[in-house]
Amino acid sequence: MKLLTFTRSLATQAAKLPNIKTFKIYRWNPDTPEIKPTMKSYQLDLNQTGPMVLDALLKIKNEQDPTLTLRRSCREGICGSCAMNIGGRNTLACLCKIDTDSKKDLKIYPLPHMYIVRDLVPDLTHFYKQYKSIKPYLQIDESKLPERENIQSVEDRAKLDGLYECILCACCSTSCPSYWWNQQEYLGPAVLMQAYRWMIDSRDTATNLRKEMLQNSMSLYRCHTIMNCSKTCPKGLNPGGAIAEIKKSMAFD
Amino acid sequence: MFAPGIRSTKSLTSSINISIAKRGLFKTIPQPPGNIIGTVNDAYVPPPSNKLHGSAHWTFERFVTIGMAPLIISPFITGTAPLDSAMAGLLLYHCYAGFQSCIIDYIPKRVYGSLHTAAMLLLTFGTFVAGYGVYKIENEEKDGVFGLLKKLWVN
Repeated sequence: MKLLTFTRSLATQAAKLPNIKTFKIYRWNPDTPEIKPTMKSYQLDLNQTGPMVLDALLKIKNEQDPTLTLRRSCREGICGSCAMNIGGRNTLACLCKIDTDSKKDLKIYPLPHMYIVRDLVPDLTHFYKQYKSIKPYLQIDESKLPERENIQSVEDRAKLDGLYECILCACCSTSCPSYWWNQQEYLGPAVLMQAYRWMIDSRDTATNLRKEMLQNSMSLYRCHTIMNCSKTCPKGLNPGGAIAEIKKSMAFD
Repeated sequence: MFAPGIRSTKSLTSSINISIAKRGLFKTIPQPPGNIIGTVNDAYVPPPSNKLHGSAHWTFERFVTIGMAPLIISPFITGTAPLDSAMAGLLLYHCYAGFQSCIIDYIPKRVYGSLHTAAMLLLTFGTFVAGYGVYKIENEEKDGVFGLLKKLWVN
């Protein structure tokens, strides 16, 4: 018995063979605008890396290249900061698993068709300006204000499910070809879904004003039901469906 | 401290924008850097509201499409086309609306200005020419547009 324990103590854990995967990451530095954007390759051992793409990016930033720039915050799909184009699909780096097949490279780009601040950081200023324009807050006539609480029935509250969860990561808007070509005038799926969220809120009384704002050929009707938005949403929401609901509700206005 | 840097990037981006605007076959209108009009805190301003370009247009398009479906399918079943001129007319509007959408998408007024208007006028002109063609076909051919299409298979 003693001998067995002794031999056990000599055993060492079999070293795992390193599983080296190449990450190709879009790099551009605003300090040197004359240098065109490039794809830079980084090698990582997947056995030493966490399971998600964000883990890999942070490992690269910590250990290989501190100049790599990206937005990240909550690392659990709640803040929407780390939205980027991973392997050809807009998603959140923190919710996207690394494909463990090390023969395939993983390409990481910033959100498509956006102005780039640096590396993986897109300029979302215009996106936020659009969000501001739909007045994403409760608007109530002073006369209709209840004396005490502003109560909503369980059924009316249920209508907001699937809409209020949106974290405005801009994955859907930047996957939409209509938004690529006409983002200056077309509001895009993310903002339109929020517009719908406030339209159907039973406590909001400004529905007509909200609809009036969309009565032109650009703001809403550039949606051609391509449905990239619903396909790409990292939270599993359906912005395309919400836009269709807006169009239906406005059909006979 | 930041002022010179900011000024130089601004002039750089605007010069890039102008050089992009000059590139290509047609002269385009330079767009504001980062698509930002006004300050970063101003909300986006939608185009003026007009139901004819908004919901009315959309609803009319849907009605035309829904109305077209039985008109197009029925001749395949019955072999004759009593409502051929109605089908041809709806199809013409359907094509007109489709191309109109393409022009708004790819030759936007914001970027192309008068070229957008020219493209729209060209489309309208083409639609009238096609409309005259439909009128002639309906009068001179035995089975109208449906008959012409049928010939593609028969001969």
